[in-house]
Amino acid sequence: MNIVVFIRQILDPQVNLEGIDYFDESKINADDLIINPIDKNAIEGALKFKDSEGATVTAVCVGDLKPEKAVREAIAMGCNSGIVVNSKDIFSHDPLIMAKVYHKVLEKIGEYDLVMIGGQVMPTSSYAEAPILAELLDIPSVLYVEKLEKKDDAFIVSRVLEGGKEIVQVPLGKSLFSISDSEYFIPRYTSMRGIMMSKRAQIPAWTLEDLGLSANDVGQDISDLEVLSLENIVIEKESFIISEGEPEEMVDKLLEKMKEDGIKLGGA
Amino acid sequence: MTGILVFALIRDGEIEENVLGVLNKVKNFTSLGDVSAALLCEQAKDEWISTLGKHGAKKVFVVEAPELSTYLSRAYVKAMLEIIKTADPKVVIGGGLVNVEDLIPRLAVHYNTTCLERVTDLILEGDDLIAITPVRDDQAMVKMKSKGEKIFITTRAGAFFIDENPEGQEPEIEKLTVSFDEKDRIVKSVEILKAKKTVNLKDAKIIVAGGRGVGGKDKFAIIKELADLLGGEMGATRACTDLHWIEETYEIGQTGQSVSPDLYIAAGISGAPQHICGVKAKTLIAINTDERASIFKYCDYGIVGDLHQILPILKEKIK
Ligand SMILES: Cc1cc2nc3c(=O)[nH]c(=O)nc-3n(C[C@H](O)[C@H](O)[C@H](O)COP(=O)(O)OP(=O)(O)OC[C@H]3O[C@@H](n4cnc5c(N)ncnc54)[C@H](O)[C@@H]3O)c2cc1C
Repeated sequence: MNIVVFIRQILDPQVNLEGIDYFDESKINADDLIINPIDKNAIEGALKFKDSEGATVTAVCVGDLKPEKAVREAIAMGCNSGIVVNSKDIFSHDPLIMAKVYHKVLEKIGEYDLVMIGGQVMPTSSYAEAPILAELLDIPSVLYVEKLEKKDDAFIVSRVLEGGKEIVQVPLGKSLFSISDSEYFIPRYTSMRGIMMSKRAQIPAWTLEDLGLSANDVGQDISDLEVLSLENIVIEKESFIISEGEPEEMVDKLLEKMKEDGIKLGGA
Repeated sequence: MTGILVFALIRDGEIEENVLGVLNKVKNFTSLGDVSAALLCEQAKDEWISTLGKHGAKKVFVVEAPELSTYLSRAYVKAMLEIIKTADPKVVIGGGLVNVEDLIPRLAVHYNTTCLERVTDLILEGDDLIAITPVRDDQAMVKMKSKGEKIFITTRAGAFFIDENPEGQEPEIEKLTVSFDEKDRIVKSVEILKAKKTVNLKDAKIIVAGGRGVGGKDKFAIIKELADLLGGEMGATRACTDLHWIEETYEIGQTGQSVSPDLYIAAGISGAPQHICGVKAKTLIAINTDERASIFKYCDYGIVGDLHQILPILKEKIK
């Protein structure tokens, strides 16, 4: 079984850049880039099949800053190999364009059985790459998977649904799964052995030309998505935030202020 | 090519609430043309069609088939493409839920265009439909539009208000036939497991909710103790129910219960949109160690601190 996991690199949400500054490329330090957290769940899902089925797992990162870092970490977690596509020309805000690049990557890889991808890109909550890619590939797919097992001749998939879960059966064969944040997919840590492997690993860097694409096929100009502005959200709501003092002082302050405002804490 | 087509998801035998919210939002965009709805199901009920009409759909396109009894991507895409071909709308839009998020981007692929995702507001500027999506934990927002010949949009769950006194008319109905083949049936829905709703949080006046910051199953005790003391209920984020720290029935948010208490205490909760969309509290108190957590933006009162220090003291003081 050959599995391809697509991972995105994002700026660590813990960095001290708020609001629009977080998206300001000039302020981004490439060392602060991490794997989009939920993509690690997708890696974990693939590695579970490596453990149980002997699957071969390839991690692919398309990015313009430091995609090798993400791929090396994926290998350190246990992936067999990795590929990066390094291009500044890809308009990555458009999920259609990203999915088209992924589609070409899969065509070039050739042999694959499963495609796995994180349920959403954290800072933008963009989730549409997965359904778009599945549609381009025209293969069975399930989104927001929270558990995935292979039984006899089918994948038994549990997916998140409002108010519960849905169990879906997908026949074995080429398919795509987008993975959500669940206990089953809690990512493993990198291992010593993995780290050694990742240091030695040769990571091919594909260009757009290698994929049979040109800047015109994937750039902002060709995209139907037009970003008009990025603005900070100013919430009018007045919040009373207590950030200093000993715990007891803080609680006293809270109760005092609530009393002043005439808000009761209730009580049985 | 004109008009707005709203995907009408059926859930638990009813038109899903987000459909009504979206209808209410788009029905005033009259310069874009009439609003219609797409209803896909095994067998349409008259009341569904009336509801869609009341909330603003002038016309309802219906496809009925056993393959559509529950949501499955392939069959739904096929049926929707047929409706889009017939209705030829400018805008195709769906509200919130995961199945809608599955469907709409797939449709966009067939028109080689993008999909505007998880939009929380729509503004009409001239003939331009401007969509707004919050990013970076709702600290910032992107304003965008689609230059596509058709525009595909999904909205964030709970983004739009429902008109409580809708005054729309009975809509026109157009039934379409779509034939399905083996390929449309290979992915099967085996069963839908509803989270056991053993507690009803909908009517709770006071809720003390814990998030991943609680730190473990046994550590949830303090949440329960405080809830009991206040005469309220316990709640949790999906992170906690996924980790089996607490039963699913306590989950609040998009995939959990929606609540509207007088008082909501959020302890160790970051304030993810999928959680917040289910919380409409008169007063919200947040306790979080990270002063930048977005929950502080929604709260009325906040304490930046460790919940395991703050809550026990709060408990003692209330006693
Ligand atoms: C399709 C879909 C549907 C979803 N539906 C839901 C839903 O219905 N409900 C839901 O809740 N989520 C839902 N989610 C998940 C959601 O996106 C978030 O992942 C989840 O809400 C995060 O939960 P959390 O706030 O507990 O955890 P985190 O985001 O990890 O936040 C934990 C917080 O605790 C703080 N903390 C840590 N230690 C302490 C301490 N000692 N004292 C105080 N604070 C501390 C941290 O600073 C942090 O802010 C859904 C996701 C998807 C993709």
